[in-house]
Amino acid sequence: MRIIADVLSTARNMNTEGNGVGVTMLLRKGNMSYSRMSKLLSELVGSGLLLELSGEKISKYMISAKGIQFLSVYYQFEDFAQSYGLRL
Amino acid sequence: MALPTGMAMIEDVLQFIGFFVSFSIAYVAYRGVRQTHSSSLLRLTTAFIFLGLGFAVEGFVGLDQVIPALPLTTMAVVAGLFLETVGYFFLAFSHAIDVMISKKMGAALLIFPVISLSGTQLIDILSILSFYFVLYGVVETVYSYARTRRPDTLLIAVGLALIGIGTFVQWLSLLYLNVDVLSLLQIIMKEIGLLILFTPVLGFAVRVRPDGTV
Repeated sequence: MRIIADVLSTARNMNTEGNGVGVTMLLRKGNMSYSRMSKLLSELVGSGLLLELSGEKISKYMISAKGIQFLSVYYQFEDFAQSYGLRL
Repeated sequence: MALPTGMAMIEDVLQFIGFFVSFSIAYVAYRGVRQTHSSSLLRLTTAFIFLGLGFAVEGFVGLDQVIPALPLTTMAVVAGLFLETVGYFFLAFSHAIDVMISKKMGAALLIFPVISLSGTQLIDILSILSFYFVLYGVVETVYSYARTRRPDTLLIAVGLALIGIGTFVQWLSLLYLNVDVLSLLQIIMKEIGLLILFTPVLGFAVRVRPDGTV
């Protein structure tokens, strides 16, 4: 779940130009193998948390409204857990 | 532990408030489990469910002093304290990173009632075990505060410390049965501690983050 939150927040924070974030950037922030990231990205796109923007050579990813909502809820519970001195 | 009726009634009301507060925290933590699948929040949920059940059983046991027709059995007192102790165990070990240790201690706690001890001895042991579990929780929460420097984490440590002192006073109340006020004092201290533990739930309810930022 932490990895999903990291990928979604990277897709949100690094999308400064509004044309999505590449896999390389997500890999750098997510700290995982390419095959694992590809699988995770297809799952996140499938569940509607990420939007896939297909380019000529590579795909880029953008966080969806559902993804933003998920992150909001995730951070609320992370904050709640941290109040008790716990990590999610 | 026979208290004057007025004091017994106050203690009983406080026990049921404890039940309500515990289940409110457990409910929010459970929502967190469903959303994030977090094992830490699962342990927190379990802790407050047991604590809530413990408060409820102790509240019902205490009703016999308000309504004399209800029978008070030592085993009911032990059951309430046992539930509370299990709650404190999960609360303390919500912090534990080494899950194997908590599993072993959990198993030890489960076989604990099998050992043939008298009801009074069981009550003594459960009270002192609760004290140690809460003490562990306080140490871990203070350690967490040192890492994160979050004021609300420090507040939770204070709340746990009050509960810890409450469980110690509870143990003292078992030793000095003639001092009526100890029994009331322990539940007041636990209750204040529990209300402090309730503050993140209040913060959770009013917090608004429409853009998903921390």
